[in-house]
Amino acid sequence: MNYGPLIFLTSFLALSASWFGFVLTPQIQIGRQPQGTNSINPAELYPQARPGLAAQGLQVYRANGCAACHSQQVGQTGTVIDVRLLEAGTNAAAVAAALVNANVGISTANAAGLLTGLPKTILSDVSIDVAKLALKALEAPGAKGEIKISPVGADIARGWGRRRTVATDYLFDQPVQLGSQRVGPDLANAGARLPDLNWHLLHLYSPQKMVPGSLMPPYRFLFQVRKIEQQAAADALRLPKEIAPPEGYEVVPKPEAVALAAYLVSLNANTPLFETPMTVAPATTNSPAK
Amino acid sequence: MSQPTPPSTAPAAESPARGAAVPIWLIVVTVMLFYLGALYFDEHGGWFSEKVYGPYTSFQQVADLQISGAPNPLELGLRVYNKPTCVSCHQASGQGAAGQFPSLVGSEWVQEAEPGRIIRAVLNGLQGPITVKNQQFNNAMVPWGGVLSDDEIASVLTYVRQNPEWGNHASAVTAARVKAVREKIKSHPGAFTADELLKIPAAD
Repeated sequence: MNYGPLIFLTSFLALSASWFGFVLTPQIQIGRQPQGTNSINPAELYPQARPGLAAQGLQVYRANGCAACHSQQVGQTGTVIDVRLLEAGTNAAAVAAALVNANVGISTANAAGLLTGLPKTILSDVSIDVAKLALKALEAPGAKGEIKISPVGADIARGWGRRRTVATDYLFDQPVQLGSQRVGPDLANAGARLPDLNWHLLHLYSPQKMVPGSLMPPYRFLFQVRKIEQQAAADALRLPKEIAPPEGYEVVPKPEAVALAAYLVSLNANTPLFETPMTVAPATTNSPAK
Repeated sequence: MSQPTPPSTAPAAESPARGAAVPIWLIVVTVMLFYLGALYFDEHGGWFSEKVYGPYTSFQQVADLQISGAPNPLELGLRVYNKPTCVSCHQASGQGAAGQFPSLVGSEWVQEAEPGRIIRAVLNGLQGPITVKNQQFNNAMVPWGGVLSDDEIASVLTYVRQNPEWGNHASAVTAARVKAVREKIKSHPGAFTADELLKIPAAD
């Protein structure tokens, strides 16, 4: 019997099923996301295209295989919701009673103690429903509170970002440099952590000088050591004595190094989005103006 | 003359394969696994919404966490601060760099009762020697008047003046105030010096 058509058909079905699952479905799901707005300031578009120099830097990043050791994706395992009390208002007794009545896990014994030393967190790690109930109970007798939403996870604890990264963050990157290895730190928020372009140039020239114990190889071929003619170049690196070139010479970054540093400075995926609810700034104080 | 047939050494022919029926239990297990999988997907998959990422499992869950109402003014200011504008020199900590960029933390210039001088410094930039917290600096600050709107300058200055992490407690800055100052300094195109700023009446 000729099994050819049957074998062809089953392999075709198997391959097309994975194509539907791994290529077409994600494309339909996230492939056509428009530029959106962030959840704090609706007038500000997110993401913004990278500046021209940073866009060139992406290609330098790609050419030098930075993604082999650095990922650009921050994970998040959960969200912690806290309720903070900012002002107790004039009727502290009524606030305490309202908190107890709201049935959010605050007993009569605790309630009075919660109203001193403001602003402070009165409920931590509760569900959003409980938090909203507590906030409502606070506001009725004239107190002022706020809900604090903080993403949590191992990456966030390491300081690699304030929230997880989502597809929108990579809208203008071609190709996206997600990476999978973490020999070095995650770079999704490199620009937010280290906004100084000169720091990045020095770090590329001599990683161990800037970060003791770093495993990163120096990228000195992105720099040029040349003789100082008449006067030193404005963009020459200010190097510590141990790694400085001999007297009369200077180290200047090539255009690739400047572009790469500009790209690293532009990496910032901390903007609060609808997909990643969070409150970011330090909570408002209870001692305003004057 | 016929050859004697050799004695047959071949084993008896195997019994032919018959199509055995798939046991019922296998079908039941398969259907149950499929059902459980569908149930799990229904609860955790977010139904292919591009707005649902882990750890969230449904659109409703994400929507419930959106905090309505006016945004915290300090959040708006922090966004302008990190654009990057101020953060490039004064750093995320607000501490600046010793000998180069003055600290904003507890700075008397930042926390003046009236924000007139600091608004001027942000709008047109600063040039030359200045003393902040008893330390001498002699550098140049970039003018931001052409880059940032009145709203943005107001919110970033409010952030800098009221940041509780830095222990700053000064009054908020309004966009109207920034606009008024912008009008007043139209005749002063260049950067201010510290001496010039000190000559301006505080409330101006």
